Amino acid sequence: MIAIFVCAIIAVYAGLRVVFEKNTMRKLPFLNVVSFAITGTIALLLPHPLTILAAAAYFVGSTLESNAIASTWAGGIRRDD
Amino acid sequence: MIDVVMVAGTTLLVIGMMATIVNRDPFDKLISLSVLIAGVFPFIIDRGYLDVATATALIAPLSTIFTLMVCRRERA
Repeated sequence: MIAIFVCAIIAVYAGLRVVFEKNTMRKLPFLNVVSFAITGTIALLLPHPLTILAAAAYFVGSTLESNAIASTWAGGIRRDD
Repeated sequence: MIDVVMVAGTTLLVIGMMATIVNRDPFDKLISLSVLIAGVFPFIIDRGYLDVATATALIAPLSTIFTLMVCRRERA
């Protein structure tokens, strides 16, 4: 019971840090923290075998999303030709 | 539903929505939108729609990636 409370509070704290951070590149680690905390909340919320599948799908999807945003923001490798 | 988790999900939804409205940079808008999507998931899971949650978790990053194709920079 205490674990899901900790996950929810970490999610809210990291969400506030994402919103109030000015630098775009510094928003992305906190977005990853939000993803991890929400994954923990999903896995602990409902005792059902498919819950871990939903949690794994959300973990993969949100990590892919934040990495795609980061690599597009960085602009890729620089070609000098 | 556990009250603390409900309050946390509602807080993530509201702050994600406000930041998505207020921000001007498209990358900041996308990051705030993913905070909003993170706030939706405890409500979907709590009702027991686990297949809906799995499908949403796989489709929402795809929509973000298709939006990123529009707002990428010119040749760096």
